[in-house]
Amino acid sequence: MSKISSEHVDVEGDVFATEEEVVRHRTWFQALWRSRNGRIGVIIVGLVLVGGILGIFNLTPYPPANQDPGAVLKGVSFGHVFGTDQFGRDVFSDALQGLGVSLEIAFLSVLIAGAIGSLLGIMAGFLGKWTSAVIMRFSDMMFAIPSILFALAIVTALGASVWDSSIAIGVGWIPIFVRVVRGPVLALRESDFVRAGKVLGFSRTRLLFRHILPSVAGVIAVQVSLALSWAILAEAGLSFLGLGPPPPVQSLGEMVSNSSSLASIAWWTLAGPSLVIVVAVIGFNFLGDGLRDAADPRTKTR
Amino acid sequence: MTLFLSIVRRAFSVLLTLWGVSVIVFVVLRLLPGNAVTAAVGVSEGLLTKAQLAALNHYYGVGQPAIQQYFSWLHATLTGNLGISLVSREAVSALIGASLPVTLELAIVSMILGVLIGVGFGMWSGLHPGRWQDDVGQTVSVMGLAIPSFILGTVLVVILSTKFHYFPSSKTFAGLFTNPWLNIQQIIFPALVLSLGVGAAILRTTRAAVLEVSGLNFARTALGKGVSRSAFIWRHLFLNALTAVVTMSGIQLGYLLGGTVIIEQIFILPGMGRLLITSINNRDFPVVQSVTLIFAAGFVLVNLLVDVAYNVIDPRTRKR
Repeated sequence: MSKISSEHVDVEGDVFATEEEVVRHRTWFQALWRSRNGRIGVIIVGLVLVGGILGIFNLTPYPPANQDPGAVLKGVSFGHVFGTDQFGRDVFSDALQGLGVSLEIAFLSVLIAGAIGSLLGIMAGFLGKWTSAVIMRFSDMMFAIPSILFALAIVTALGASVWDSSIAIGVGWIPIFVRVVRGPVLALRESDFVRAGKVLGFSRTRLLFRHILPSVAGVIAVQVSLALSWAILAEAGLSFLGLGPPPPVQSLGEMVSNSSSLASIAWWTLAGPSLVIVVAVIGFNFLGDGLRDAADPRTKTR
Repeated sequence: MTLFLSIVRRAFSVLLTLWGVSVIVFVVLRLLPGNAVTAAVGVSEGLLTKAQLAALNHYYGVGQPAIQQYFSWLHATLTGNLGISLVSREAVSALIGASLPVTLELAIVSMILGVLIGVGFGMWSGLHPGRWQDDVGQTVSVMGLAIPSFILGTVLVVILSTKFHYFPSSKTFAGLFTNPWLNIQQIIFPALVLSLGVGAAILRTTRAAVLEVSGLNFARTALGKGVSRSAFIWRHLFLNALTAVVTMSGIQLGYLLGGTVIIEQIFILPGMGRLLITSINNRDFPVVQSVTLIFAAGFVLVNLLVDVAYNVIDPRTRKR
């Protein structure tokens, strides 16, 4: 029994694997690395993750938020790669810590959105007509509220701790996961290997989690990466508006907002955190494109 | 007849969506923790006696069961009574009436600029795949997607005000009809910032659509027949790429509505977004509720318009 389920990927298409299919059966990382977008994405995201983790564990060049009266508003130098602010705080160290906070919120929110959204999407595609209609209606309704507004409304109601921000940002992205996942599941439901599973008397749960879920994992991975880049943006936007996590935690958006009045005399205080946000967003975008290339060889970029 | 039926169905589903949105907004803002009443009065709940609390709840109409609250709110909203701001004591409808035109103007100008940027660069880069023109387009698109509007806006404000000593938004906002010249100056920079993000997404879509269409048989036939280059570009490529562009523009208009919130804050425009943020900070629930609802209604209507636009643009969608 388990043999059939583990070989379901091979059942589609020809019996004899063509060369292209052999390529496809390499590990997913190799497939990702083969695409230009994927390589750029992996490298940038790797750097961003390392930076964020250093920030979370306070392993920054200077202790975060450490005020040094002897080094106020110093420009970019080897000692302070992003310069220092009006209190003599090292902008690079603070930005790393802010990145840590942003990543925590981004990952949590995408975990929320991805888990709930994918599950609903799979159910909408796989279960009966009525379940599908109800879920899709509901997701249309949620989709009708621009996600940043959703986040604002929830932050108003809940507060702005790391958890609350994550919920606020994640909830708005649920309908997107529902839509993206439902399509392929609908197609898979009628595919031979799922029908074969049905004939063999597999339970619905087993079909869902052992047959369908692995097949839509690629789609979900692409969406997770894009959602992460959006979540970083959304979190930065919220904290820019003063609705980020409360102090002493300083997130990247808040740094941008705080430095806007300072930027005319010390441009680096604005440039540092901005650069970190932009690099992180670009990284996850490239990773998403790369994952898409890896999952579907037809869309490979030149 | 079938056309009529499909319109009725469409209208019904729009109404259903709007109703759902009202429920979601209500649930999120009223039923989650955080007491609007004590926030409005400015004291913490523990300092009030039970009787005082009950009187206040009654005054604000929040003492009733949730279902009853919802229906009285819905009824009031439908009859045009959006409630009264807990902070300024003005009618919410008056506050919205004053700020909606600003946001609409901002959104429309940004959308026009965004479509110009997106379609312009998108066609340019799609017509020269792999050449330098394409690289320029791709760079614009990556930049537009990755640089958040609030960073771009902040940088623009800093540059304009410190390098050029030019910051029209520091004057009080001028209406489009009372002082058009100042109004344009105040709107154009925030609109430019917003349009870059919108334009980048439209650019990607346009480029992909142009590439796809130019690979099709009819396009080659047209070229083989000796159709002039401009006729080929605009009548064969552009018209066929238009459906994708319109879809993307509709989606982007939704994001744009959200984007105005942050941009209005940076450029100090007295629009819906600024109203929303101010009321969120004051925990002014009636205003937050109505503004969110209006944004959502706008989004739903835009999507409806996009669907209608399909029928006009693409005859193939009419048959179903």
